Amino acid sequence: MSGAAAGAAAPYWRNAGMTYISYANTCAAMVRNCLKEPHKTKALNREQVYYKLQTYQEGEPQKPVVRETPPAPPLKKE
Amino acid sequence: MASGSGRRGGLRLARILSGNVNSYLSSGAEKASTAAWRSTGQLSSAEIAPFGARSVSGQIVRNRLRSRMVAASKLRNVQVKAENSRGLWQPFTALLGDAPATKVDKKLIVTISSDKGLCGGINSTVVKYSRALVRLNALDHGPDDKPAVVYVIVGEKGKAQLQRDSKKLISLYFGEMRKQSVCFTQCSMMADEILKSNEYDAIQMVYNKFNSVVSFLPTVATLLSPQQLLAGNQELTGELDAYEIEGADTKEEVLQNLGEFQFACMMFNAMLENATSEMGAQMSAMENSTRNASDMLDSLTLTYNRSLQASITTELIDIISGAAALEG
Repeated sequence: MSGAAAGAAAPYWRNAGMTYISYANTCAAMVRNCLKEPHKTKALNREQVYYKLQTYQEGEPQKPVVRETPPAPPLKKE
Repeated sequence: MASGSGRRGGLRLARILSGNVNSYLSSGAEKASTAAWRSTGQLSSAEIAPFGARSVSGQIVRNRLRSRMVAASKLRNVQVKAENSRGLWQPFTALLGDAPATKVDKKLIVTISSDKGLCGGINSTVVKYSRALVRLNALDHGPDDKPAVVYVIVGEKGKAQLQRDSKKLISLYFGEMRKQSVCFTQCSMMADEILKSNEYDAIQMVYNKFNSVVSFLPTVATLLSPQQLLAGNQELTGELDAYEIEGADTKEEVLQNLGEFQFACMMFNAMLENATSEMGAQMSAMENSTRNASDMLDSLTLTYNRSLQASITTELIDIISGAAALEG
């Protein structure tokens, strides 16, 4: 499930280890950063992420890891 | 007769003894309790136990009504999001098909459940379906040393139930999903984690699809890995050939990207649908419990009043017979 199909040249992001999902989301984040002000903070606030991930090895839960986006700056009044 | 006059005498005696008791001897239990409540005025429930009980639980019922309104508005918000997100996976299913009966070697079962309780039976149905899928898979393949099925659990309640017997099969667990409202970035990050940590041939997502506030359908969404898509489905790849692909991507590339994106979209929709079902189930569970509690309260109040009347009548009879004995 990793890497390019045999024989074809993979795009640079797949060679770097990203999946299509991470590529698309990185592009979306860049587009969001290009927005003008009130829309920008609105969009950034909309896409806040927080979850806890716990991997299991051989049936035993490992230490949970928290993944979250840093909180967006507060909405500036203009 | 003597007993009749004695009874009336006893009544007058009882009235003198305590003003409250009078109200119980008037007609009917309902009238008695409310009249007694009014006569005692505003309550501190501690001292006046019988009437206090009635008013305190009235408070609880009113609180539940209020939280029901809040839940209804929350439900509406998530429902709108869920219905809008359905458009994300419908084109995928139209193009790539949905094949729940695929027999593959490596399967990944994503069980989507809630973190909070008090939501009726939705989590148990999801877990039941996941376990059934594992058993079906075992039937297909026979006993193996390495399990061909791996669980990814989303949500606390699912983990609690599946940990009991399927601990060896769990690969990943995602918790505290609802701290921030569900957004596509979150679902794609989760999908990314799952893709990176597991090799699979097919993913089956089990979640509750929202049909209406009272009906949630447990649904299994099947997503094949790109290799499976290529291998299995000849007419699909034939269809894709009809499209001219721009850029240096080959068909395999496109299918791989599509497969990953389909997973992220389905994850997004499944999380939203499950969240909506969870809110709906919470609402109906709260409503049912409120109704049951009110019914139980009414019947218990009646029983209480009846037994109180019986004990007061017994006391009166004692008093009256005592008084009659003194006279006679």
